[in-house]
Amino acid sequence: MIARDRNWLLIFAVCAALAVVYPFIADGYQLTVIRDALIFGLFAASLDFFWGRTGILCFGHAAFFGIGGYIMALVTLNDAIPLGSLLGILGAIAGAAFVAAIIGYFLFFGGIRGSYFTIVTLAMGVICQQAAVSWSSVTGGDSGLIGIPPIAFDLGEIHVDLSQDLPSYIFVASIVAVVVLVLWSLSRGRWGAVLTAIQDNEVRAAALGHNAPLRLLVTFVLSAAIAGLAGALYVCMAGLVAPDLSGLLLSTEVIVWVAVGGRGTLLGPVLGAIAIQRAQQTISSFNPSLWPLLLGCVFVVIVFVLPDGILSIYARLKSLFKGRRQAQ
Amino acid sequence: MSDVLLQAENVGIRFGGLQALEGLNLTVRDRELCCIIGPNGAGKSTFLNLLTGTLRPTSGSVRFLGHDIAGLPLHRIARLGIARKFQIPSVFPSLSVEDNLKVARWGTSSPVRPVGELLDLVALGSRAATLAGELAHGQKQWLEIGMALAIEPRLLLLDEPTAGMTPQETLATAQMLLRLKGEFSIVAVEHDIRFVRALNCETLVLHQGRRLRSGPFHDIEADEMVRDVYLGRR
Repeated sequence: MIARDRNWLLIFAVCAALAVVYPFIADGYQLTVIRDALIFGLFAASLDFFWGRTGILCFGHAAFFGIGGYIMALVTLNDAIPLGSLLGILGAIAGAAFVAAIIGYFLFFGGIRGSYFTIVTLAMGVICQQAAVSWSSVTGGDSGLIGIPPIAFDLGEIHVDLSQDLPSYIFVASIVAVVVLVLWSLSRGRWGAVLTAIQDNEVRAAALGHNAPLRLLVTFVLSAAIAGLAGALYVCMAGLVAPDLSGLLLSTEVIVWVAVGGRGTLLGPVLGAIAIQRAQQTISSFNPSLWPLLLGCVFVVIVFVLPDGILSIYARLKSLFKGRRQAQ
Repeated sequence: MSDVLLQAENVGIRFGGLQALEGLNLTVRDRELCCIIGPNGAGKSTFLNLLTGTLRPTSGSVRFLGHDIAGLPLHRIARLGIARKFQIPSVFPSLSVEDNLKVARWGTSSPVRPVGELLDLVALGSRAATLAGELAHGQKQWLEIGMALAIEPRLLLLDEPTAGMTPQETLATAQMLLRLKGEFSIVAVEHDIRFVRALNCETLVLHQGRRLRSGPFHDIEADEMVRDVYLGRR
């Protein structure tokens, strides 16, 4: 195992240990704050899996988060549907994946890349938000849908009820941990290496027999499916869904979380999302108008001081100490 | 004939008002080595793009193992058994030399040569862990040849494989290709006459988008017209 992988696993283990200890030191409110931040972290990891591995920026990723959220809300608010929460989650994943497959097919096989892809996905996000506002008979319009029940379902002998803070925290933290580990395994294996090759030189990769558009499409669909899962989890925890969840602001925020955490690291964006969410809540409690200004400053400072994100601090400190030891 | 691998018949291509290539024929048999030479602007790289299916001819046809390959996606052309080395070294700079070769092997369903053998073949065994982006120019060219070999091609098309190489590297590349001769067919587009002389194979000379001469290299080298328009007189 190479040093970079060892470092990643070490940081993951430390984060997992902190996540296990946290319920013992936090009250119910703090637990729900971190739980919701973890969901946004899952959303950020989904974008990072696509952006970080392919180098192609999706500027409308919140569309998939919103689609997942709306499907979850519509399924769970319909009493006639049995196993509502479970079907809602599966529907949210499938719905977001389906939309990504349709859009991605035309973009990737049509040779749309780089800034053109970013602009088209930006438009996709705007269309999704507008659809959520305009299609009020289904989506509830500007007000959205409220009263979405917490996740609860029976699977044989197992009864899952996430109406309490601790079970919902454990459920979300477990899903985030599993998804991040799976995405990391994919990224460091054959799939990730071929994606890196496509990012470096798509024509060369194709000339070696790799179906680059198909690889990019599958990665995009997987990324969207995870964003849809995050959206479904979020609306059940928040109890409501609104057009903002598929809007441009959230699409921009998730890019900032990934950039601050460290693009291509998967774990960094989760930490970035948690750090920024916590900071936002703390600073907004003093002065709500101060937050956007500070967020902008933090982003600029991170780009200049830590261009590889906060997760690179560990590697930098390690090389610093190594350099000092060698100097002595 | 059954041993014909690639057949270009009366191939031409027009870009707007410019007739870039006209009436070109080339037959590459199984395990044959041949070169395409010509002055700048003769249409060598354009012809190679037609042979690899990257460009669609406006007249004539290009068939590989009987299939018309014009306009096929690159990955399908590669899977048919055509490997290509580009004029500008095209490697994956973010990956190590070894990973470049691994990614190349994964492009085919049945790779035969192990990565270690490929590394030895292109003389990069000691640089396996080096990032491809950090290699010297000539080493990048070799790595790209190694990547092309990794997909177990029936036909290897090389676009100026020695561009930017030192004379020693050029000679080493020619020796490498001569060692591979007989395993599969090779078509090399090249400027460097020392390289073509070292290969000493069937040669097609292009001039202004048309065939000037074709035949064994020693005949080509002695041809008055080829010497006038391309090789020059000593």
